[in-house]
Amino acid sequence: MDTTIIDFLRLVLLSMVPFVLAGQGTMLGGRTGVFNVAQEGMMLVGASVGFLVSFFSGSILLGVIVAMLSGALFGLALAYFTTSLKMNQFVIGLALFFIGLGVSTLLPKLILGITLTPPLIPTLKSIPIPLLSQTPFIGPILFKQNILVYVSVLVSIGLWYFLFKTQKGLELRSVGEYPMTADSLGINTTKMRYWSTIIGGMLIGMAGAYLPMVYAGTFTEGMTMGRGWLAIALTFFGGWSPLPILYGSLFFSAVEVLAFRVQVIGSFLPYQILQMFPYIATILVMILTFKRSRVPGFLGNNYDREKRSL
Amino acid sequence: MTIAKKLLPYLLAVVASFVAAGIFISLMGFDVFKAYQTILFTSFRTPNGFIQTLLKFIPLTLLALAFTIPLNAGKFNIGGEGQMMAGGIGAAAMGIMFADLPAIILLPLVILGGVVAGALWGLIPAWLLYKFNINEILTTVLFNFVAFFLIDYVCTGPWRDPAAGHPTTVLIGRGGWLPMLVNNPPLHSGIILAILVAIGVYIYTSRTTGGYELVATGANPRAAGVFGINTRRMFVLSLVLGGAIAGLAGAFEVAGNQHRLIEGMQSNFLQLGLIIGLISRGNNGAVPFVAFMIAVLEVGASAMQRTMMIPVEMVFIVEALILLFVLLSDVVRRK
Repeated sequence: MDTTIIDFLRLVLLSMVPFVLAGQGTMLGGRTGVFNVAQEGMMLVGASVGFLVSFFSGSILLGVIVAMLSGALFGLALAYFTTSLKMNQFVIGLALFFIGLGVSTLLPKLILGITLTPPLIPTLKSIPIPLLSQTPFIGPILFKQNILVYVSVLVSIGLWYFLFKTQKGLELRSVGEYPMTADSLGINTTKMRYWSTIIGGMLIGMAGAYLPMVYAGTFTEGMTMGRGWLAIALTFFGGWSPLPILYGSLFFSAVEVLAFRVQVIGSFLPYQILQMFPYIATILVMILTFKRSRVPGFLGNNYDREKRSL
Repeated sequence: MTIAKKLLPYLLAVVASFVAAGIFISLMGFDVFKAYQTILFTSFRTPNGFIQTLLKFIPLTLLALAFTIPLNAGKFNIGGEGQMMAGGIGAAAMGIMFADLPAIILLPLVILGGVVAGALWGLIPAWLLYKFNINEILTTVLFNFVAFFLIDYVCTGPWRDPAAGHPTTVLIGRGGWLPMLVNNPPLHSGIILAILVAIGVYIYTSRTTGGYELVATGANPRAAGVFGINTRRMFVLSLVLGGAIAGLAGAFEVAGNQHRLIEGMQSNFLQLGLIIGLISRGNNGAVPFVAFMIAVLEVGASAMQRTMMIPVEMVFIVEALILLFVLLSDVVRRK
């Protein structure tokens, strides 16, 4: 029993990473008012590119870096179309989602050809932290994880510190609340929106790269399975704040692991019904929490300094 | 403004995306001109190609309308394919449960089953929006996944066809099959109904009071509210209407093409429907024409993959680029 619980919690932490990273990436852009809805496509590109680069270079690190760069490129496009050209954020987000979707399947088909047995990359190894990993119970749960689990937690804490404890962070948040006021105080709103969206895109790309590197060892079409969309729900759930997003991702991940576990063990419920569980649970959570969710005041809007009113 | 002037940005967008993709295709070492010839003319070279195109045109038009009607009211329905699959389930349920009924009763029942199931699938997000003010973008997307798993469940459940290798349901009753317009290659009569629906939607949104209320809600919800339009009811109505039309597409897929449900029968109709709706800029009158154009590209894409080994996704990216360039033409015009 004890080992089952340890195993379960270890898996929950392992599976939270895509949610944490994509959630923080969404949050960061949103904090300057850019509402990204291209996560699903960006994560797929991250997964595809991350897998291909790792496979050909033999370096997972390089794979993650290139996946992050691809995410940054999408973030840059999103920032340019919305902030500089002032185009509708949802529509551009959807267009980028489509492009991501297409590119993610096109690249492996072009480079590897259409194969029945896809090549595999080695999955991320767990790195036990000396001493701490020896602690009973929490040791194997918290401190025997792969590197990106640690990174995702550190990123979350770092973002919290940056946004809520530094002057620049305060300035960034003000752009997403009252851009006009921020502008009048001499804050470069355009630059803020660009950087937050680009770095947010990097995190989303990294979230995608995690999938082939931890679960399958290869890229499969549509392997995100809606995690990008779930990440948006998570961001609302976490009130667009880094630490609640980190905790919230534990819930999203626990639901995913639980649904999978019950399928393996077998139950009176058909497995397809169990597979629906994460999506239905998300909707239930949205019903319970959306009313109280704190949302950046300018979320989804574009700021035009030459207009008199917003 | 003359029509030619209106069409110019679209033409430029199409040319620009073909040029951009062409550079990429030639860099990959393929013959660009042969590729584009295949993409553009496969639909018109043989009767088979043309009928393939019409068969694609049906669900694409309907799914695009399932997106544009809520868009007219200012809401994003990203759940068209889930609603379509729900419609497929509803249609198959009718066709299997009442398999022995004569066509005159069963066929309308199958179609109605699809429409009602699709409408219900659109009603859930609409109700969540109405009651709890939950963003419809997320809920409609998530219900796609629920519908996909539901289809897989139905295909392995009590209606499973034990003789088939891949999980599918048994065939629906013969009376539920849509009559064929052309037998070889097969073209079902759903196309007539689809065109009628498209015309109906166009008249509804541009020529009737109810439709005007819907469009007014999308144009400026606050002003619409001041003039006594119940905007929240309009949101619900638009999403349910969208769901019903997507459900009709699902019913056609069952009654016209497959005559059964198949596990994993979902395709990329959702994305293409959204692309068509956005290229049309929510103009329901333009939807069928854009849908036909995209259907031509899609049929050409499969031919290109078969004969030249260029993956079909290449064309999907071209379509996404056309959308992006069409959107960009707005910005250029504003300047």
